[in-house]
Amino acid sequence: MESFSYDDDISRKFAVATIVWGLIATIAGLVVALLLVLPKAFVGLEWLTFGRLRPLHTNAAIFAFAGNGIFAAIYYSTQRLCKARMWSDVLSRLHFWGWQLIIVAAAVTLPLGITQSREYAELEWPIDLAIAVVWLGFFGVNFFMTLIKRRERHLYVALWFYIATIVTVTVLHVFNNLVVPIAAFKSYSVYAGVQDAFMQWWYGHNAVAFFLTTPFLGLMYYFLPKAANRPVFSYKLSILHFWSLVFIYIWAGPHHLHYTALPEWASSLGMLFSVMLWMPSWGGMINGLLTLRGAWQKVAVDPVLKFFVVGVTFYGMSTFEGPMLSVKSVNALSHYTDWTIAHVHSGALGWNGMMTFGMLYWLAPRLFQTKLWSVKAATLHFWISTIGILMYIVPIYIAGLTQGLMWRAMDETGQLVYPDFVETISSIAPMWWLRVVGGALFVAGVVLMVVNYFMTWLSRPSAYEVPVYQAPRLAKQADYREPAEVSEAIKDAPMLEAAKKLDTWSRMGWHRRWERLPVRFTILVTLAVVIASLFEIIPTFLIRSNVPTIATVQPYTPLELAGRDIFVAEGCYNCHSQMIRPMVAETKRYGEYSKPGEFVYDHPFQWGSRRIGPDLAREGGKQSNLWHWLHLEDPQSVNEASVMPSYVHLLDTAIDFDKISDRVWAAHMLGAEYDKELTNAPEIARKQAELVAADIVSQGGPIKRGELMTYDTQAVALIAYLQRIGTDIFATPEADESSETDGPAPGEVPEDVDAIPEVAAGQADPQSDATG
Amino acid sequence: MLKDVIRSVDYSDCAEIALAMFVVAFAMMVFAVLRLSRKSADRFASIPLSDQVKDPRDE
Repeated sequence: MESFSYDDDISRKFAVATIVWGLIATIAGLVVALLLVLPKAFVGLEWLTFGRLRPLHTNAAIFAFAGNGIFAAIYYSTQRLCKARMWSDVLSRLHFWGWQLIIVAAAVTLPLGITQSREYAELEWPIDLAIAVVWLGFFGVNFFMTLIKRRERHLYVALWFYIATIVTVTVLHVFNNLVVPIAAFKSYSVYAGVQDAFMQWWYGHNAVAFFLTTPFLGLMYYFLPKAANRPVFSYKLSILHFWSLVFIYIWAGPHHLHYTALPEWASSLGMLFSVMLWMPSWGGMINGLLTLRGAWQKVAVDPVLKFFVVGVTFYGMSTFEGPMLSVKSVNALSHYTDWTIAHVHSGALGWNGMMTFGMLYWLAPRLFQTKLWSVKAATLHFWISTIGILMYIVPIYIAGLTQGLMWRAMDETGQLVYPDFVETISSIAPMWWLRVVGGALFVAGVVLMVVNYFMTWLSRPSAYEVPVYQAPRLAKQADYREPAEVSEAIKDAPMLEAAKKLDTWSRMGWHRRWERLPVRFTILVTLAVVIASLFEIIPTFLIRSNVPTIATVQPYTPLELAGRDIFVAEGCYNCHSQMIRPMVAETKRYGEYSKPGEFVYDHPFQWGSRRIGPDLAREGGKQSNLWHWLHLEDPQSVNEASVMPSYVHLLDTAIDFDKISDRVWAAHMLGAEYDKELTNAPEIARKQAELVAADIVSQGGPIKRGELMTYDTQAVALIAYLQRIGTDIFATPEADESSETDGPAPGEVPEDVDAIPEVAAGQADPQSDATG
Repeated sequence: MLKDVIRSVDYSDCAEIALAMFVVAFAMMVFAVLRLSRKSADRFASIPLSDQVKDPRDE
């Protein structure tokens, strides 16, 4: 016999961390919601702009709040389902503190503009490495060793979901974050343009699948029966929807890229599997809700069950809406609008939030070995949160639909009804205010929970009881009786031997064995997700016609490369897409639709997933350099209704030309054909910067602050990049040659750089035309 | 050379093959689930309800 006890201290740690980060994540969400309606709220503080704080909010919600929540759930339930203590207390602690350190690193780096600017994968490479070590090295090893050392032969379905989570997140994280580092906190994705977009949304969608869905389903399968004191409604359904989810989810990512430069076959495949996903998702929802059969009277009095019921219901709603949004015709209307934001939040607040809250309220008395401080407060939290979610998502659904309809509205003459993009933003501002109110209610609910948890913790005993259990180890070989070779019923029947063998096979003894073998089970899950991924990834990378080359598309100049990095660092993709879809309304508003070959030098891609500002795919040459300068300094000065924050800090921050060489070398390593840039990048960048600065001065800038115009600012580099975007496709090799007599083409630096007039400084003329 | 060989392979049927793979796997799972006895299913479904260690459960 062996003696063992459960390690509840690690669950306590993760539970408390969940609450603390939940509060921070939701407050961050409230702040970014406020920034949309009050864009001047933090004028001058570059680390508090929408572009930098929004990723902080999403990362905090996903990896800090939901992440710690699933760890609390997994550490608590795995030990009980395996009838074993976690394999290593040291690894458990390393996991806990390592994860918190990663979160703190994210909270520091993202506001500083240290980011990859790829949604939900923003963190830079040193932090990514730490995530891999903590996730697989500490958490994964500990979890799988616990499975191997368990004392319950059968692996309950919740454990299957945990296995799928650990395996798939590892695969996604590693392959999506393959980068070329050029500094301690700067790297370039090894993928470019279309392929980068594909990898990112393969990762992004499956982060939703395997970080925000499968672990929560595992959580549901453990904690819902516990809270209701009822067995799972249908274990058979749970098996069926588990394997269906694992097989299907991994394919669905490309539906995030409908009507983009991604090949048609990929997005159609993504749509097909997304629609199919509806069935296994609802399998989970139905199983969860029907587990409460005969126990619905408990829901009326138990806040834990209330949270679970609403959480599972939101799961059902979100997983109905998700497949619907993946249908191309629906996606054409919803994509880039606030509809997506409403969808995401109904899942995150409703499904993940409510399930986590329910679990935490169930755990509190058990972890702290005392009564919950106030059941009434928990019930109040439930109602505040539910009303808050509804007040949040309903206005945003309306806002999204309004945006989509306004963007595509055309009159009888074929002209856009709302040609000025900002009109579509102004019309939804009242909805954004309602969202602030709903978000504030949700935050208030979390505050109530913090108080409830703190008061419960205060009433804990001076020393926790640690029950000790005794049981022998599992036998190495399962005492499992294989089905008889041939069943009694047909043993002596006059039938073919083949039919008898089929009968034996069909009794699925082999599958029962698999369910008892964690290593083999893990390998099967891994195969399911890897093979499915390869069926999309291999064609995406190897079919040449997927990314037809365009002869005139050339690498960025050194200054433009630096400017693009500033675009990336500021998180501009959070508001501006760089992808014009082949739709009449879009091409009329922005210009020629985007082609795959235009993005071959984009590491990372910057297509965005939402438009709070207009698309920038054809921005190059649309506005003067002075307009851009003024727009960065004070957006409202060029467009009164703009909700863009001031980027005045870019006007004052110098650019380090000497570091541009590293960027050029990295871009070269990734396929950009550079020549003299490899040895002379700083000088070439300086000369182009002088050209841009000279142009701004020639138009009368700078104006507002009356300062001297200097060429070595981040704003100048960013303007150089903005003026280049989307212009190459219109250039022709012939035109490039002829342009030698007419001056440089966009993005081109003259051979004779010494001929450029020196414009290191010049006095602004406030009387000049500010509009350029 | 390997690159050229891989590039020359026709991947246009990938989606159909993938779908067929899913259908086969799904059908197998449906079959497996249908063959699971009610007794076993009920026992597995009740695993989370019991925190007591009943020896090591080998069955």
